This record gives sequence, structure tokens and C-alpha cells, in this order.
Amino acid sequence: MKRLRSIRLREWASILPFVAFGLFYFAARAVLEAANLDTRLKVVVALLPIPVFAWLLVSIMSGIRSMDELHRRVHLEALAVAFPLTLLLLMTLGLLELAIELSPDDWSYRHIWPMVWAFYFGGLALAWRRYE
Amino acid sequence: MKNRLRVLRAEYNWTQAELAERLGVSRQTVNAAETGKYEPSLGLAFKIARLFGQRIEEIFHPDEQELSKPDPR
Repeated sequence: MKRLRSIRLREWASILPFVAFGLFYFAARAVLEAANLDTRLKVVVALLPIPVFAWLLVSIMSGIRSMDELHRRVHLEALAVAFPLTLLLLMTLGLLELAIELSPDDWSYRHIWPMVWAFYFGGLALAWRRYE
Repeated sequence: MKNRLRVLRAEYNWTQAELAERLGVSRQTVNAAETGKYEPSLGLAFKIARLFGQRIEEIFHPDEQELSKPDPR
């Protein structure tokens, strides 16, 4: 029971860096969109989520290391799907940018990052289907 | 690769979760290994063999069809 509780606690603790990064990102975005700041201050605000992301990265790495071999393989396969798709998305948008005028209100970096998550979770779903 | 993991587990009357805990892996890993969807690493295969007190080749054995296939290299 104690062990189960400690595992649950660890699972909840692993969510913290994700939540913190999300909070920092959306707060920075809100500030940059709403407030009229000096350019240097804007750059500082834009870079503010990076240290939190470092924490997130360390947490992801330690999470991967604590997984068993099947889970690691599933995540590797998810990355093998997500990484080329992300590359394809960025390269296609780059080419389209040369061909037509893409509205920054729809196709800026701040709009396309959720697709990268979608690729990764799609890859995870595909990989799990193979082993279930 | 075929294996006798499910048969051995049944002999010991263990659930997949119990076997997984003894091996230090997840239940999904045990399930995928039992159904042949996942081939465990050599390290895990040794652990399994030691747990059941058998040699690796008594638990895991390759498909005859797989063996007769030519090396792709």
C-alpha cells in the first residue's frame, strides 16, 4: 500500500514540470500579446519558459530511464513517427511560404507546435497498437 | 520467436502482474512477450530463465520458418 502510494505520488510529481512549463509558456504569451513592453523586456519574457523547459527535459529523461524495455521501445517508435512528420511539416510550410502568403495569424510557430504533440501522441497510439 | 512463458506462468499460478513484479517490468511487457508481439532483450530473457529455473532455450525457441529464411544481408 505504501509502495503504491509512493508510485502514485511519483506519477503526480512527474506531471509538475509539464504544468509549470505550460503555465510559463501561456503566461509569457499572454504578456507578449497584451502588454506594451520595451523590446528587450519582450525578448526576456519570450525566453523565460526556457529554464522551465530544461527542468521538463530532465524530468522526461529520468522518466524514460525508469521505464522498462517495452515502454522505451514504444516511445522510440513514437519519436520515429513524430520527428520525420515534424520535419515534413516545417519543410512544407517553408516551401509554401515561398509559394503563397501564409497568414502569421494561422501559421506562425505559436500555432503549429500543438501539431508536434499530436504527431507524438499519434505515434504512441500506433506503437502501442503493435504490442497490445 | 515462440516461447513457453504463458505455460510456465500458469504452472506457477502467477498472474501477469505478479510475474511482471518479480521481473521488474510492466504487465504490458509480460503480456506482449507472452503473445509473441515483443521479443524480450537478452537480459530479460536471462532473468525469466533464472526465475523459472530453466535454460533460455527451454523457454524461447525460434520459428523454424524464421530460421530457414536467408540472411537479408
